[in-house]
Amino acid sequence: MTKPLPSPPGSPGQGTEAFLQGQTHQERTVAARGAYERYLNRFGWFCVAPSVLFFSVFMAYPIISSLYYVTRRWKGTVNTFIGLGNFVRMARDNVFQAALGHNFIFMVIQVPIMVFLALLLAVLLNQGIRRFRGALRLAIFLPSVTSLVVVSVLFRVLLQTNGFLNNVMLSAHLIPAPIGWLSDAFWAKVTIILAITWRWTGYNMVFFLVGLQSLDPQIFEAAEVDGASKVRQFFTITVPLLVPIILFSAVTSTSGTMQLIEEPNILTFQGGPSNATMTAALYIYRQAFFVNFDFGYATSMSYIVVLISGILAFIQLRLLGGERRAS
Amino acid sequence: MTVSRPWSLGRVGMWIILLACALISVFPFYWIMNGTTLNPNDVLRGLLVPGRDFMSNWKQATTTYNLPLFFSNSLLIALVTVFFGVIVNSLAAFGFEKYRSRARDRVFGILLLTLILPQIAIVVPMFKLFSFMKLLNTRAAIALPSIMSVFIIFFLRQNFKLFPTEIMEAARVDGASELAIFIRIVSPSMRASFASAAIYIFLAQWNSYLWPLITILNDAIKTLPIAMASIMYAYTIQYGALMVIVCVSTLPVLILFLTMQKQFVAGLLGSVK
Repeated sequence: MTKPLPSPPGSPGQGTEAFLQGQTHQERTVAARGAYERYLNRFGWFCVAPSVLFFSVFMAYPIISSLYYVTRRWKGTVNTFIGLGNFVRMARDNVFQAALGHNFIFMVIQVPIMVFLALLLAVLLNQGIRRFRGALRLAIFLPSVTSLVVVSVLFRVLLQTNGFLNNVMLSAHLIPAPIGWLSDAFWAKVTIILAITWRWTGYNMVFFLVGLQSLDPQIFEAAEVDGASKVRQFFTITVPLLVPIILFSAVTSTSGTMQLIEEPNILTFQGGPSNATMTAALYIYRQAFFVNFDFGYATSMSYIVVLISGILAFIQLRLLGGERRAS
Repeated sequence: MTVSRPWSLGRVGMWIILLACALISVFPFYWIMNGTTLNPNDVLRGLLVPGRDFMSNWKQATTTYNLPLFFSNSLLIALVTVFFGVIVNSLAAFGFEKYRSRARDRVFGILLLTLILPQIAIVVPMFKLFSFMKLLNTRAAIALPSIMSVFIIFFLRQNFKLFPTEIMEAARVDGASELAIFIRIVSPSMRASFASAAIYIFLAQWNSYLWPLITILNDAIKTLPIAMASIMYAYTIQYGALMVIVCVSTLPVLILFLTMQKQFVAGLLGSVK
């Protein structure tokens, strides 16, 4: 794999022994320490080298070379320099802006619903009940084992116009006519939100459960003695104490919604109906690999996505992080 | 000011919420499994009692839809990624944590910077890179980029932190080489963390969609998610056979989860410790 490493002093390696020949005791120990330190340092590099190599090729190089793609425009197989032209084009691209808007809608509606639901379920499981706790936790976490493709396939079949959910709701007389879960611009968005919430609520709940277990039960006993209701305890004790985890959950979920691609591509079929569920990531993918093969434009749009994700994470960290310091 | 008494209104409401959520969470799993026994029409309608078409669905999945090929592709790629991923990432985590130097800390800092980078941001340069290396449309192209994971290095580093350095010192005095310390002394006590990392890498690869979608161009190397996605794109869909494929692609993960719950969840939680 690599050059054999020198053995540490004290072990029967000949390299260091020969190196130390003909020196006073003082010099020898100093030199030995230096050589030993170098050996440890070299071993450190040996350990991280494979990862750094992989990182350089599959992460650093793509990031750096993207700077080149951003300034170019592809037409067929030829590409030309257009400077910041891609960003000008974005400013006029209604579909891209609408796609970002959809990401925003999914984020603003889905993330709070899911975080609240996950927190509520965690509190109920942790403090409300004693029986069946393990089984219920297992059940609610179970959707997290499915892949996003499976989730999309599943909901696509369940939510067909003549599919299961419509049939059940029709026969229960909950709705007068079948809902176009996949064919109506509004309901298609609802469908995506439902699918993401189903997949991720249990996942986020586990984080909250771990957080709750680290809280001191005496706080709640004291609140109980003071006569605070469960609801009040939830909002004035549990939520403030779990802010770091809520924050983590919100930040990861937000960056997740910025990357939505399986659901709009498979569940609502290529961002349909007529781009009503088109997301930024899906649009980028389609521009680069499906419709125009314009790698420059796609890369430029991905810069905007990265920028927005970064800003959102920053805002959330400031908002909730500041609150934590204040309380 | 409600003090919880047995079967107060609040307790009933709580049980209703919990049971409803549990039911909604579990129902699709039953629905998938039941769907493997139904004919396509009944799958769509959502019949809840088992049918008799399992054998014909299975046959259709394995012949028309080439399930065994996709399954073995997925499994092979995931296992290879796990094998190299655990070695490469654990070694790096060990190096970063137990042989700290200013230069390596800085390298680690750079690695962490990319932790939140969305995959969509680098797929175009990656595609160009792989097309330059003439690796597009190979299994290696799917496995290679997911071997190194900054998240896993971070996770394992947190766990290596807990390993007492004194034990390593003692081993050094006994004349063990650093590599021997890693392999014989540190690794055995890190087995649980390695299992978590392995599960995490396996899941990420088994479920991965965007990168395989871009690199895979023909049927022979399709993975399960890509196969399912392309079935959904077809004009006519054999729903019964589709349910078999969905079932087969979920089952390994489900079994992994049910048998190794602790490591499974530890892998998820690694980042909040």
